[in-house]
Order: sequence, then C-alpha cells, then structure tokens
Amino acid sequence: MASRRLNERWALIAPAIAMLCAATFIPIAAVLVLSTLHYDIAFPDKISFVGLDNFKRLISDSRFLNSVAVTLVLVVIPVGLQLLCGLGLAIALKEKLIATRWMRAAFLLPSVVPPAVGGILWKLFLIPGVGGLSYLASLSGVHLQADLLGSRASALAAVILVSVWFGVPIVALLLLSSLESIPDDIYEAASIDGASWLQAQWCISIPLVLPAMGTVAVFQALEVLGIFPVIFVLTGGGPAGATEPLNYYAFLTGFTYLDFDYSAALLVVFTCTLVCACFWSIRRISAGRVGS
Amino acid sequence: MRHNLARYVYGYAVCFAFAVFLFSPILWTLSTSMKRPIEMFQWPPVIVGEPSGQHYAAIIADKEFSSALINSIIVSMSTVVLTMTLSIPAAFGISHLQKKAMRRLLTLVLLLRAAPGMIYIIPYFLLFREIHLIDTRLGLIIINTMFATPLAIWYLSSFFDQVPREVEEAAIMDGASMVQTMVLISIPVARSGIAATGILIFIGSWNEFLFALTLTRDEAKTAAVAILNFMPFEGTDWGRAAAACVLMLAPIVIFVPFIKKYMAGPTTIGAVKG
Repeated sequence: MASRRLNERWALIAPAIAMLCAATFIPIAAVLVLSTLHYDIAFPDKISFVGLDNFKRLISDSRFLNSVAVTLVLVVIPVGLQLLCGLGLAIALKEKLIATRWMRAAFLLPSVVPPAVGGILWKLFLIPGVGGLSYLASLSGVHLQADLLGSRASALAAVILVSVWFGVPIVALLLLSSLESIPDDIYEAASIDGASWLQAQWCISIPLVLPAMGTVAVFQALEVLGIFPVIFVLTGGGPAGATEPLNYYAFLTGFTYLDFDYSAALLVVFTCTLVCACFWSIRRISAGRVGS
Repeated sequence: MRHNLARYVYGYAVCFAFAVFLFSPILWTLSTSMKRPIEMFQWPPVIVGEPSGQHYAAIIADKEFSSALINSIIVSMSTVVLTMTLSIPAAFGISHLQKKAMRRLLTLVLLLRAAPGMIYIIPYFLLFREIHLIDTRLGLIIINTMFATPLAIWYLSSFFDQVPREVEEAAIMDGASMVQTMVLISIPVARSGIAATGILIFIGSWNEFLFALTLTRDEAKTAAVAILNFMPFEGTDWGRAAAACVLMLAPIVIFVPFIKKYMAGPTTIGAVKG
C-alpha cells in the first residue's frame, strides 16, 4: 500500500522534472559545446572544433574586460543600495503610521512593471530640460539641463538608479517580513531600560535582520542583471560601453554581430560565475524552506 | 517609546521620500499619456491638464501594437494553463515526499532557474529555426512555460504543505488514489494559493522581454517588445509611448493587491526568517 502510493507520487513528479531537466540541461550543454566550436551561422555546414580558442580570445578583448568591470559595478552597487534603502523603508513601514497598509501594497508597484516599460518610463522622466526629473529639481530650486544619459558616469548612475527603483520594493518587503518576526518583548524590554526608538532600531532591528539581508543579497545579485531590457531601452549599453554588462555584450555578439560561438563563450563565463557564486546559498535556502 | 517623536518623523519622512522616488516616473508617464501635443514639452509642465484620449485612440488603432497586445494576452494565458498542468501534480507529489527527498528535489528545481535567461536564447533560437517555431506564439508559450515552472513548483508545493494531512489521509482511507485526493481535496483547499501563483505566472509572461525579442519578428511579437516601435532612433512620439506604457501596466496594477502576500518569492517561505 505504502509503496504503491510512493510510486504514484513519483508518477506525478516525474513528467515536470524530466521536462525541466531536458529543457534546461540540453541547451546549456549545447552552449558549452558551441563555445568550443568555430560556427558561422551563414555557413552552418563548416563547423570545426577549435578547443579553447574562443576563450583565449576573451583575454585580449578589451570590450570583454570592460563589460566584466561594468557587470561588477552593476551588481555590487545596486544590490548594496537596494539593501540600504530597503532596510530604511522596511523600518518605516513596520511602524503603524496612517495608511501604512495602503502604502505597503502601493510601494510594490515598480517591482511588477515590465522591464522594457520601466526603461521607457525612465527615459521619458530623464529627458534633458523638460523631463520629470528636471521638474522635480526645479521645485527644489535646482536648474537641471544636463543630458544624464549622455556622459559615461551619469549614464551609469542612471542605470543604477533604475536598478534600485526596480529592486527596492521587493527588498523592503522581504526585510519587513524579517523585521516583523522579531518578538515585541525585545523592544519592550529595551524601552523599559530607557532605550529610545532610534537606539532600539540600531541595536535590535538592524543586527537581527542582518542574516536575512545576506539571503536577500544573494537573490538580488541573481535578479539584478535582469535589467537587461532597461539597458536596451535606456542607454543601449552606451555611451562607449559605459553601461554594457557581460550579458548585454553577449547578446550583441550573438544577435547583432551573429558571432554565435564567441557569444557562447561569453555566456559560459557569465553563467559559471553566477551559478558558482550562488550555489551554496541556494542549498541553504531550500534547507530553510523544508525545515520550517 | 510609544510616544517617541523620532519614529513618526522618521516613518513619514522615509515614506514620503520613497513615494516620490517610486511613483514619480509612473505618474509622469500617466500625465504625459493624456497631454495634447501642444502641451507635451511646455515649461513649466502641465501636470494635470485637460485630459485627452487621442494617444490611446491612436495606439488602439495601430494594427501592429493592438495585435501585439492580443499576442501578449494569448501567450500569457496559455503559459499559465500549461505551467499549471505541469507543476500542480509535481508540486503535490513533492510536498508528499520524505523531507530529505523533498529538500533535494526543491534544490534541483531552484538550481534549474539559477542560470540567467540569456544563456538559453542561442540554443533555443537555433532549435526553433530548425523546427519552424521562430515567430510563433507556440514557441514563446513553450519557453515561457519552461521558465515559469520551477518557481510555480516552489510556490505550489508550499501551498500543498499547508493542506491538513488528516483530511487527505481520510480520503485515502476511503479508497481514493493520490490523483483523486489531489483533485478532490487538495486543489480546492489550496485554491487561493494556486490562484496567486497563476497571477504571478501571468505577470512574468506578460513582462517577458528577452525571448520575445529574439524568438519573434512580426507575427508573434508581444506588447512588451512591440512597445519599442514607439521609440524609433529619432523622434519618439512620447504621447503614444506613454499611453502604451499605461496600457501595459493596467492589467498588472489590478492584480497587485491580490498577490502582495506572495510576491516576495520563495525566500519568504521560511528562509528569510531563519
């Protein structure tokens, strides 16, 4: 009886898992193989094995090295800012203010905006001189005419800003749920001991959500390069490659320059780095999910 | 501490600052979408003028964009149905395994989503070219389903975990098979979680950009990509672009209150609290 039920379970699980594994591992294997080949889409019959040649090309490709640096900047800075701002917002939303419930839902809006739409929203908002940002600046007495997307540093800053805009709501929501799991008596004890609200936040809330911030950081690090469509719309990787992360460069190499084998090599490097960086934390996360 | 001024000052100041940051681009676009051309770049800007529907009328009449909207609706709905068909049984099965097997499978499922979407576009492009799925809705539905299923399994298995085991055991005692128990007992009990998962899959597919960009040309193009038609290299028609953005956002905004609880993803289900 018991074993018959066990078989039934696996019969339910197997189709989806088998399909998923096939649909995931076969393409990844194909990319791995492709990265060791010479493959020209115009002459698909002339395939030859070239070993690590595509990877050797990476080392002397200054555009690749630039894109690695941009990738690092576009992961580390936005994730850091998201955690910082998200924590600040979560602490504010935890307080029972007027309309907090309403705000909690409304603040989530940016995180479900289609990324390409987000790019357009911000491009419109940043139009030099007459856009929304210039208007906000003029309200506070600043005269802003510069084209933020025109220079390297400010274009990068704009992409980071949009990246924070997309990520803060989710980070705040996650940290809020972590804050709310802190028992109230800890705060009461602190208050009896004469701690002010600010001291309580600094000495109780922040240390106790730090472990959660680690998990959130990993998730956001995986998510944050999903702003590919934003870069596509907002800057197109420019000016002069200033906002061109590795996945954007790989996309252009494959689908604009039709250099599929080299694009595959770029993607192999990109994926290996991401997956290795996150493997241990994924294990920990599923352990937490089952353990609870 | 109850009457501490600092917390209210902090709370309202931070909420106000974030309200400005998070909403102003959206509200600016909403305002732009209803401006008449003459008001478009007036300075000081006309935030709320006499609302004009001319940009909306223009994009609805635009054959290319309206057929892209229809594609988006068809692709997203089919993705929801196909993903559910695959992941409900799998999630139900996983939630009834021993803890150790369950943990391994869930790790595997999450790992399947760890690789960035970008790595799939070349192999799927080459494959779809061979089997004539380029620029078809079916091709997009397949790849969106493959992308949505891991997360759906994660969410759904946690909802099935919450179904009381005694109720399921009782059904099995009465001679029901696992499938019958799932269909007659567990799915009805977990229906609100299943609905929320469905909404999340719909939004994911509605927003999907990368595959729609690379695997479609004209026929099956979805709105998330077709919206770029309003932004040619020179001379964007901002009124139309803004109106298209608002149309893309409308179905999502309606859903947010229903899925708020579930939006934080698999991490809220246990790990973050630990």
